[in-house]
Amino acid sequence: MAEYRDIWVFCEQRNGRFENVSLEMLGEARRLMDKYNVDYNEQESVVAVVLGHNIEHLVKEALGRGADRVYAADHSELKDIRMQPYTKIIANMSRQKDAHKNYDKPRYFLFPATNNGRDLSSTVLAELESGLASDCNKLYIKETTISHRAKTDGTPRVFYRILHMKRPDFSGYEWSTILCLDSPKMEYSPQACSVIPGSFKPLPFQENSKGEIVRYQFDLAQQDLLVTVTGHEKIPNLMDLTGHDVIVSAGRGIGKNPTEGLRLCIELARLLGGEMGLSRGVCTAKYTVEPAFAQYVTEARQIGETGQTVKPKLYIAVGISGAIQHKKGMDQSEFIVAINTDPMVPIHDFADVFIQGDLFEVLPQMIEQIKTGKKLEVVLSGGKV
Amino acid sequence: MAQELNYVVLTKGVPDFREGKVVFKEDNTLNRAATPTVMNPNDYLALEAALEAKVKYGGTVNIICMGPPPYKKVVQEGMQRYADHLYLLSDAKFAAADTLATAEAIRLAVQKLGGADIIFAGFKTADGETGQTGPQAAWKLGYSLATHVIRYNLNPEAGIFEVTRSIKDELEFVRGPLPAFLVTDPAFKSEYRTATQRLKLQDYREETKKRAYQFEEFLTIWDAAALGADEWKVGIKGSPTIVEAVDPIPRAPSERKARVINGRDRDQLQGVVELILERRA
Repeated sequence: MAEYRDIWVFCEQRNGRFENVSLEMLGEARRLMDKYNVDYNEQESVVAVVLGHNIEHLVKEALGRGADRVYAADHSELKDIRMQPYTKIIANMSRQKDAHKNYDKPRYFLFPATNNGRDLSSTVLAELESGLASDCNKLYIKETTISHRAKTDGTPRVFYRILHMKRPDFSGYEWSTILCLDSPKMEYSPQACSVIPGSFKPLPFQENSKGEIVRYQFDLAQQDLLVTVTGHEKIPNLMDLTGHDVIVSAGRGIGKNPTEGLRLCIELARLLGGEMGLSRGVCTAKYTVEPAFAQYVTEARQIGETGQTVKPKLYIAVGISGAIQHKKGMDQSEFIVAINTDPMVPIHDFADVFIQGDLFEVLPQMIEQIKTGKKLEVVLSGGKV
Repeated sequence: MAQELNYVVLTKGVPDFREGKVVFKEDNTLNRAATPTVMNPNDYLALEAALEAKVKYGGTVNIICMGPPPYKKVVQEGMQRYADHLYLLSDAKFAAADTLATAEAIRLAVQKLGGADIIFAGFKTADGETGQTGPQAAWKLGYSLATHVIRYNLNPEAGIFEVTRSIKDELEFVRGPLPAFLVTDPAFKSEYRTATQRLKLQDYREETKKRAYQFEEFLTIWDAAALGADEWKVGIKGSPTIVEAVDPIPRAPSERKARVINGRDRDQLQGVVELILERRA
């Protein structure tokens, strides 16, 4: 039987800085392994994997943020993430025995659920031929009794030291627990997943932490370098929502009549001197809207994990359920008003006011009341003077 | 004259999440049985990308889809957008596959087709949302991989592709050799610059709509035996991962105490409006 040990963490960096999620994963890996080592009376490690060019400072940072050992691959060709060389190097690091590693493969492996990190997790695990769960935000290790048609011939069997990988689904209601388990014919290791940014807390940086640094030696074959990054260009921020005091965001609740839903949200936003944002659901839904409104349905207005993070004085969420991905982009708003037909939606728990009702009935009333209210305000303030 | 280019588009059937179609159970989990299956909405962009290649560089567009026989409807939906040939990978042995086992079936199907110059896939499916299957299939096939593609160009003679990728707040320009596996970003847009291209596009769209009526004439169904699949590498047996449980996400303690307002009550709404005007200032 092959031997598996340690938890490995791929720490993504861009332009010489770690993505926050890299540090968050190191923190979580540290917590998981500290508990694991007590529970199973083991001495297994947190291993950070860092690839790039001129990354010495990142190696130190990984050690100070929870890693016991860092595998570093430093080369000018590795400056940008490129699937072919990155996948080969990471896969080889993790399955070659060396002076620092006498086991066959890692037991667990974490990747960031970023655009590039997700791709890389897929190709590395395809190369290592093991299981991968995507976009997880809760992890724990324990034994589990499973009865499964393919894994256990339908009879109950206990699997030990299993990483339980929980991922929220699109709606924010369901949580799937994914397990990577050996089958009667195959051993699957590492048990791997990608981790949603913002799910875990990083550890404070410890100066002078002791740890092992492995400067990984590798050859780059010409054929692994055929796909090249020829340039980058900053996307001009056409729609910066971050500076506004008021944001009215439209969610999938507008689906019944997207044009009217957008029109109402835009009108409310304008009346309040704000801007309109969108949930990811609206950006990806491919709604058919009247031509005049098509320009508003753009990712540039998306709020959430893969869009912008806003902290306005007032955030009005219209027909948005409040999945974790959306929550991340707006829950630091000072005051949150949610409008939804369903009182059980997650946003109920992080709104200050929850209006239970149909947005197509509620918004016209609010708009009308604001219009008349505005006149009132003028009269009143005029009276004071 | 070089050999004609061969394109593959990967599609997946997913529950129709549109308002009025999707059915939820009482505990708010998806009722799959009562929700119709449609083509993954993002796959339309992959089909548009393949059609763009056909218009500009010629060639054949093949749709590959894995699923039970009723998924014929899914590939038919694809043909309405554009396809020359349809392939449905259908076998109980393929069922309940995770991403790695799905990627294996795709690898076998593409190889049985004699390979492809470009494989197009849509970003993430609406149900699983993993975004893993495409990159895993590309890796198994040894094709160049580029994800989050919003534009692309080919130079078939030189065997080169060039793409623009969208990575959060940056565009990245990438080039590499064919064969390639391109995953379209939700922001993907086809570009037709000449009248000739636009006329061809119109013709192809009309042709394919007619073909879609008798799509079964263009449909091939492959089972595990036809692909020579190792039963321990596909389907439930070839899947490293299982879904142990699906449960409602337990509510964290409320972060804010929401005042609940009845949306039908004008006076209550008026109160909210006053609060809003106050908060905005």
